[in-house]
Amino acid sequence: MTDIPDRRTVAERVAAATPDGLARKVSGFSDRTIAWLFIGPTIALLLAINIFPLIWAVYLSFTNYAANKLNATVAWVGVRNYSRVLSDPDIWERMQATAHFVVWTIVLEVLLGFGLALLINRQFRGHSFWTTVVLLPMMLSPAVVGTFWKLLFQTQIGPFNYVVSFFTGIPPSSFDMVGSVALAPWSIVIVDAWMWTPYVMLICLAGLRSVPDYIYEAAEVDRASSWRTFWSITLPMVLPFLMLAVLFRAIENFKMFDMVALLTSGGPGSTTELASITLKREAFEKWRTGYSSAFAIILFVTIFGAANIYVKALNAVKNR
Amino acid sequence: MAEVRIDLVSKAFGTIQAVEDLSLTVADGEFVVLLGPTGAGKTTTLRLVAGLEKPDHGRISIGGRDVTGLPPAERDVAFVFQQYSLYPHLSVYENLAFPLRSPTRRVPEDQIKATVTRIATMLRIAHKLENRATRLSGGEMQRVAIGRALVRRPSIYLMDEPLSSLDAKLRGELRLELKRIQVELGVTILYVTHDQIEAMTMASRVGVMEEGRLVQVGTPREIYENPATVYVATRLGQPAINLVPPSVLPQVATPPGTATIGARTEHLDIRRADGGTGTGIVARIEHLGDQNHLHLDVAGHHLVTLTESDIALDVGDRVNLDVRGALFFGADGRRIAA
Ligand SMILES: Nc1ncnc2c1ncn2[C@@H]1O[C@H](COP(=O)(O)OP(=O)(O)OP(=O)(O)O)[C@@H](O)[C@H]1O
Ligand SMILES: [Mg+2]
Repeated sequence: MTDIPDRRTVAERVAAATPDGLARKVSGFSDRTIAWLFIGPTIALLLAINIFPLIWAVYLSFTNYAANKLNATVAWVGVRNYSRVLSDPDIWERMQATAHFVVWTIVLEVLLGFGLALLINRQFRGHSFWTTVVLLPMMLSPAVVGTFWKLLFQTQIGPFNYVVSFFTGIPPSSFDMVGSVALAPWSIVIVDAWMWTPYVMLICLAGLRSVPDYIYEAAEVDRASSWRTFWSITLPMVLPFLMLAVLFRAIENFKMFDMVALLTSGGPGSTTELASITLKREAFEKWRTGYSSAFAIILFVTIFGAANIYVKALNAVKNR
Repeated sequence: MAEVRIDLVSKAFGTIQAVEDLSLTVADGEFVVLLGPTGAGKTTTLRLVAGLEKPDHGRISIGGRDVTGLPPAERDVAFVFQQYSLYPHLSVYENLAFPLRSPTRRVPEDQIKATVTRIATMLRIAHKLENRATRLSGGEMQRVAIGRALVRRPSIYLMDEPLSSLDAKLRGELRLELKRIQVELGVTILYVTHDQIEAMTMASRVGVMEEGRLVQVGTPREIYENPATVYVATRLGQPAINLVPPSVLPQVATPPGTATIGARTEHLDIRRADGGTGTGIVARIEHLGDQNHLHLDVAGHHLVTLTESDIALDVGDRVNLDVRGALFFGADGRRIAA
């Protein structure tokens, strides 16, 4: 048996050596109290600037309140705002414009983003440099992008029309991307795709990198065609990532405001007036606060409901 | 089936020489096992044959055809990967059918079904055919990986530790099954393992690898009885061969130049010494069930032998050792003839 002078454990000795005052100060709060101290400020802020306005908007949507008439009496109008929003043919046109924008941007961004990711995943020389270059549009502010493309789309001096004319032979001043009713809905799609394809590409790239090499090697030894390798291995493994990208882009574009407001301001007429732009006009130009609150709540419930269904589908795909 | 010839092949990864000037011929219908410690280059050798790595130099031919520059798909090999490597989104059935569905093979659907069912039954995974490949135990995944190779009749099967994650019973069964298939159908197999029982029982020939080089090739018996170096001698034998300097066993007549004596269990004869005269002391006895590992202390060196379980020895007993037919090695590790 070896001789141990002090039989107490190290922990006991450290505890004995700690000054009493310090120990009491630290143990004065329970773990629970300390946890609340840390998350308290965040929760307070969240309540003040997120949850409270939301509840307040729900209340306002049932009234005839107008934010520019502070002294007018506020009357409870029940679901009248809701029925007006839902029976307004203009609103349905706005929703159609929004759906057009959301669907086509997602189609373009998924096809181009996945395509680019497949290219960049080949690990050719300088692929990290090109990845950075491709990511540039995403790093710009939407306001800058909107203003910038307005210039590019200029019929007289804009390079876009000249490039199109170079490839197709159509004279550059014969079409106006921003000003024509037929083209404006597509120009906002083009600009959004230009800006956010890199983002979808990045997520797809993460998915492609998650496929272990040896699975491809097994397919190679098994003499699978590249088409079959893509359908049976690559696509199923990237699909959850792709679906996540679609979810993010759909939510973002459903509430798109800044880029489109600066590029077309909703025009010409109201062909590119997306839901958020209508909302801003109703709330802060026409000052129909109750009505716009009802519209906002309808939009919120739509996005929230759709996103929830979608996330369930996403989980089902992931757990396959 | 075909003969596979590896001719002075080398492969380096950066500064690591994974395989160095390796030459090996696997004859048609032969079962060759590569044995060696981790990092010896066994997997790399298989990958070179499969075409998943390009050799830095050297030549590989399968069935007399030079395949050195050909991609894996044109080599007609089947590979069982060390990391199973199943197709995660396909069912077990689809995984097994995958190689048969290749456009270059065009196997009719009813034949695919018959083959898959037969192989699955043999590997005892027939009840899991509808499972997703990711929802299997490690051992089941490994069997699917073996099955995916067995559905085909390639020129050569390349198998990288295919039985490593199975329990002892199943491993024993599949060992017999694989050997049976190999003998019955006369298929050619290049097989990597760490398990010396697999090497001893299945191999037509064993190749021992050390740091990228093939040190010795021979039948399991040759490798066991006539190892060319100390290193090869330590690869086979359970318990491992005892290596001691000649001074520890002065009773052994050693040829000139001997630096190490290699003594296996069958070379040692142990007798209890009376009156405290023996050269060795029993340090420990491990009971393995039907046999014992006897640990001896001889002049400060540790020796292990296998004995009957009913041996009449106890820890602390003094013993005398008789040595018959031991192996002798020079200072460079090479074998010296007795
Ligand atoms: N792709 C690679 N890149 C860099 N080094 C590698 C690569 N593959 C193998 N190596 C190196 O080559 C050497 C041989 O590796 P190999 O996989 O052939 O060993 P092994 O004999 O199969 O070992 P184990 O029994 O552990 O599977 C090792 O040192 C390993 O680190
Ligand atoms: Mg290996």
